[in-house]
Amino acid sequence: MTELTASRRQVLAGATALAGSAAFPCFAFAQGAPIRIGTLTPLTGAGGPYGPVMVKAVKAVIDEVNAAGGVNGRKVELISEDDQTNPEAGVRAARKLIDIDKVSAILGTWASSVTTAVAPLCWESKTFLCTTSGADSITALPHQGYLIRTQPTTTLQGKKFGEFAIEQKAKRVFFLSPQTPFAKSQFDNITMAVKAAGGETASLIYDDKKPAYRTEIDEVLRFKPDAIVFGGYTPDTAVMLKDLYRADFKGTKIAFGYSVNQKLVESVPAEVVDKTFMISPSPAEGSKAYDRLVKMIGVAAPDPYTTQIYDHINLVLMAIAMAGDSSGAAIKDAIRKVSQAPGGARIDNAIDGIKAIAAKQAVDYDGASGPCDFTEIGDISDSKFRYEQVQGGKIVLVKIG
Amino acid sequence: MTLILQAVINGLMTGTLIAVPAIGFSAIFAVLRYPNFAIASYATIGAFAAWWANAILGLPVIPAIAIAFLITGCIGVGAEETALKRLRGNGALIVAIASIALNLVLENIVRFIFGNDMKGYDLPLLRDIRFGDLRIGPQQLQSLALAVVIMAVMFLFLRYTRFGKAMRAVADNPDLARLKGIDPARIAIVTVFLGAGLAGVGGVLIGLDTSIDPLTGYRVLLSVFAAAVLGGLGSIPGAVVGALALGIAEELALIVVPATYRTAVGFVAILIMLTFRPRGILGERAA
Repeated sequence: MTELTASRRQVLAGATALAGSAAFPCFAFAQGAPIRIGTLTPLTGAGGPYGPVMVKAVKAVIDEVNAAGGVNGRKVELISEDDQTNPEAGVRAARKLIDIDKVSAILGTWASSVTTAVAPLCWESKTFLCTTSGADSITALPHQGYLIRTQPTTTLQGKKFGEFAIEQKAKRVFFLSPQTPFAKSQFDNITMAVKAAGGETASLIYDDKKPAYRTEIDEVLRFKPDAIVFGGYTPDTAVMLKDLYRADFKGTKIAFGYSVNQKLVESVPAEVVDKTFMISPSPAEGSKAYDRLVKMIGVAAPDPYTTQIYDHINLVLMAIAMAGDSSGAAIKDAIRKVSQAPGGARIDNAIDGIKAIAAKQAVDYDGASGPCDFTEIGDISDSKFRYEQVQGGKIVLVKIG
Repeated sequence: MTLILQAVINGLMTGTLIAVPAIGFSAIFAVLRYPNFAIASYATIGAFAAWWANAILGLPVIPAIAIAFLITGCIGVGAEETALKRLRGNGALIVAIASIALNLVLENIVRFIFGNDMKGYDLPLLRDIRFGDLRIGPQQLQSLALAVVIMAVMFLFLRYTRFGKAMRAVADNPDLARLKGIDPARIAIVTVFLGAGLAGVGGVLIGLDTSIDPLTGYRVLLSVFAAAVLGGLGSIPGAVVGALALGIAEELALIVVPATYRTAVGFVAILIMLTFRPRGILGERAA
């Protein structure tokens, strides 16, 4: 038989301990319950080149904040998961972050397909989501405020691609893209910009898991385009560029900065990718936050997504400090009070922000990716773009505008 | 007409790329009677081995392919002996599932060693040759020639060498082969070596045409599997015919269907095939 009765002394000791913890709740929680933040970035798959650096930036900020005493006396803990640039893997990882790790916020979902799949899990569980995905449809989801994004919408980006093609004196513009959630709105907005200048457009949506695209290229060339816009990711765009070179295409090539990147330029023969233009949302180069990030992670020119996730973590930590609560709902309610409080102190990092908040100051964060002011549905209200070109195996800046 | 002819040419070219790993897949299936999905990672390993030989050591393509064949073959045998062999007694399904797991492990080892970035071979890219309205890539022609030579060598090996005959005997009837004094364990090792090696060479050929990254093999796994099924699982000429048929069917379909449905077209072809001829084009046994 197991002895179930407790001695009077044991009961007394237990009761005292209970009363003690009730009287001093901070003892029980100050060190015991860290604030948990999840990153869900692509460490593998098409976004693989970006995810690891993104996580590094988040970790650097968290380490710095912890060294300065944490947020409201609580340590911050980072849990990093890999979405594999794949919605199905993204959902599994998000489930783990939400259900098992019970994170306050998830940062850095990159591919629009992943964000679209993960977002409902977040708002249903009242977990805050910060994303770098561009598809217009994302902020149109019924997210109840549990989502912000730092990437300009595809409406804005499509328009810039169209206008730039016209600037390059193209009259017939072809849009070549795999199936992505932003392909349609991207093409519609390119078409709008090109038609406004009297030009014509056509598009082809391809399957991005094929070893060659020769028949697709034949179809593209039948349109006789003078400019081709690539909507894909790095691996498939590399194949497309090679097949276009083989087919002797001599017109203008315009791609997203994230697909034609240094890695792609190094992996294909120089003449294949030469003269290709790249357009990407421009980070706020030269801003205080940007310089700080460069020093923190030791990367001379961080990509836009790293600058964006750096802003995510700073904003989320400040929002938690402002709300005095680390729940997703608290972050949702406080985020705009730290990103864009009218007349607030210009802050470029979480440590200064947390100090200002403790001193009851209003805060207006200016980030490494841009001013970080959000509209009601969670889009950024302003962004600059960066126009680059591959010249002789090097990526050269053409303009920022 | 030009449109159709060009699509057929393109289909033949993609088909030959798939045919080489499909032969490896079918050879393993013929002798060991299970679908080895780890050939995706063997293809990736082959692609990276050849990249290492070509871009780092500066060797030309043909020696790089030979190195890829040897390295992948050895890794295939190592993986088979350590991970899959002991499961063979539990039925084909268990080994097939284990091979999927093995594939993930090997793929991530490649990622660990070479990183996640795309890499390209150190080769000049050549413009297509034009015949009127038709165009053919010299590199594709070279890959086509390589694939044909490899297939011919494989065919001659199976047909005329003692080992090849023994392999066919085991594939045909393992018990009878054992009675004749053929050691099935040795045959299994050689088959896996050849099968994995061919998958590796296939990976190189795909890499020559595109770029390579740790997912190179995985991306074509379904097509390789489909080609082997279409041609008749376990039949080596069948794998070649299946791959070419699949390639041509996909490219021809693009003329009428949007490119997004390209993969679907291949699978519809398989569905029709299996409905009316379950053993595949050249398969001898009913599946």
